[in-house]
Amino acid sequence: MENKKGFTRRGFVKASAAVVTASLVARPGLAARGYSQSGAMEGVPHRPLGKTGALVSCLGVGGYHLGSIKEEKESTELVARALDAGINFFDNCWEYHDGVSEERLGAALKGKRDKAFVMTKVCTHGRGKDVAMKQLEESLRRLQTDHVDLWQIHEVVYWNDPEMIFAPNGAAEALLAAKQQGKVRFVGFTGHKNPAIHLKMLAHDFPFDTVQMPLNALDATFRSFQKQVLPEAKKRGVAVLGMKSLGGSGEIAVNGAVTPEEGLRYAMSLPVATTISGMDSLVVLEQNLNVARGFKPFGEQEMAALRERVRPLAADGRYELFKTTTKYDGNVGREQHHYPPKEKLPA
Amino acid sequence: MGLLREPFSAKSISQRVATEGRGASGQEPSSGIPLRKFGRHEVKVSALGFGGHHLGDAENVQVAMRLVQEAVDNGITFFDNCWEYHVGKSEDWMGRGLKGRRDRVFLMTKVCTHGREAMLGMQMLEQSLRRLQTDHLDLWQIHGVSFENDPDLFIRPNGAAEALRKAKEQGKVRFVGFTGHKDPAIHLKMLETDFPFDAVQMPLNAFDAHFHSFTEQVLSEVNRRGMAALGMKPMSGHGDPIEQGELSAEEALRYAMSLPVTTTITGIDKPEILQQNLKIAQGFTPMTAEEMHGLRERTRQAAGDGRYELYKVSLKFDNPEARIAHNFPLDEQSAEVKEMLKATENTGHPFPDVKPPQP
Repeated sequence: MENKKGFTRRGFVKASAAVVTASLVARPGLAARGYSQSGAMEGVPHRPLGKTGALVSCLGVGGYHLGSIKEEKESTELVARALDAGINFFDNCWEYHDGVSEERLGAALKGKRDKAFVMTKVCTHGRGKDVAMKQLEESLRRLQTDHVDLWQIHEVVYWNDPEMIFAPNGAAEALLAAKQQGKVRFVGFTGHKNPAIHLKMLAHDFPFDTVQMPLNALDATFRSFQKQVLPEAKKRGVAVLGMKSLGGSGEIAVNGAVTPEEGLRYAMSLPVATTISGMDSLVVLEQNLNVARGFKPFGEQEMAALRERVRPLAADGRYELFKTTTKYDGNVGREQHHYPPKEKLPA
Repeated sequence: MGLLREPFSAKSISQRVATEGRGASGQEPSSGIPLRKFGRHEVKVSALGFGGHHLGDAENVQVAMRLVQEAVDNGITFFDNCWEYHVGKSEDWMGRGLKGRRDRVFLMTKVCTHGREAMLGMQMLEQSLRRLQTDHLDLWQIHGVSFENDPDLFIRPNGAAEALRKAKEQGKVRFVGFTGHKDPAIHLKMLETDFPFDAVQMPLNAFDAHFHSFTEQVLSEVNRRGMAALGMKPMSGHGDPIEQGELSAEEALRYAMSLPVTTTITGIDKPEILQQNLKIAQGFTPMTAEEMHGLRERTRQAAGDGRYELYKVSLKFDNPEARIAHNFPLDEQSAEVKEMLKATENTGHPFPDVKPPQP
């Protein structure tokens, strides 16, 4: 039904630049939570998700960190506050914390499922369609829903992944089947390793609705997804989801290359549908909301200046360890690719 | 056994050049390890090289010394080492093992500036010479060119390129080169600096043929430029594919030695490994093109994701000094890092004998 809104490829470009602001006026509970002291509470803007017709908040809640939070009570509260602030995009993945991340999101969204745009990912890592379909059922059960809005192939980071995904009976066929069965609305893929692997995936001309990739101020000068993949995705009308705006674990900010605010604002100012950010506490959620509420993108000059400032730190990939090391490659994928586990090969 | 070249005691650079001109005797040594020409120079070195890193893994100094001595006595002339291997232990043990045999070998070590200044490189050189108990090196190489900006940092004013030039001028090193295991594109960037390297070291094995391939992208360019191509990691660094039954040690080493290289450096930490490698190298016959092709077909599938070339896809083979210089995280579980921390626990500085350059 979203298609009725008729977002064309060109429409996407224009609309994402203009940024659609979601109306929060009628949303109850904000005052009770103390967010409207100024009386001019601005929400988190929503943007079109490529040509799908769906609208998603320009800030997304990362699913991995939901499972890192110690108390489930806090992750539930985080999801509730995010929804109240106008965030509807929730990221997750079959393999995060062995299912805990999906379970927590499912529990937190109970009764609010229709307010959220739920994404999760499938972790075949080269295995076939059957494995994928089984994982989908598990994800749906944990998320307590009969469908996910977006289902993506997780962690396309090994150089031979694209050929395995598109082999007969591979994971690509699962995406189509799941869509046909109405269990997923849209499909995509994600990875953090190398623009060339993403381009190999896109070159298959598969009808991906989305593609997720690391986008931050340092990426622009090192094995750059921004330069190499973002334009290609745009050309193909595939919605872009950004991630790792601060390096995955805050490396970029912790080391002083950018402030957390600059880092997030830079990523969100790119022509993306949403920027997924891991938030492992309510404090981080608030920090992110300070950027996202009534989001004001950087101008082109500000962006260029920031890229220039961090260029020397970007040149060897020291703060983009997901590109240069195995630190961010999960154990499920390592096992399928016969890599040592994290304990034996931490980076 | 015949000497490779006239022994020289490094009195002057002119003498050395004269020696080089006469070069190797041209005769095969009685041991039967083939000798090959060192790039554009007349010097010859053994087709099998003795890797210095693994020497530091030997049981103790006596075992290490015996390994070195037996290797020399059995026809290995090319000896590899590096300033940072086992925090100096590899150089120290090799120096002891080579006592009385120095003139029979072609001794290489590497400098670990990892992007830092020439002066630091010169300090490391003095330390290497002292540990190796020699007044000169036959080959001095930039170690671990692994990061994308290393070539820029190497060639910049006051970068390590200046140390290579200076050391050659001072007669402390005869030849210079660089090494790295990460990405063919980085090697090509180093070559594009047009610095007059004599040698280039790179990982070469049957897996490399299919994955970010040095064989495909770098080897012919190095040969075209008349530089000596030095192969390493014939068994993927730690022999993982051999342990997994993908191929035998003999197949792996023979394949690497059959490529157009000057030498193939392989790690030797035990007498049985030395014997195994000597057996392959003595009376070495190269694989035929068909044999090589057949082996590549066998390794193709497993090569596709880098599982047997972790030096290309992870930090595992990047030594602590490289990581420190580039501000990459240290792996505190690794033996290298533990050794480093132990060696420096009283000083608070990673490498006590080398002063970091003042900004």
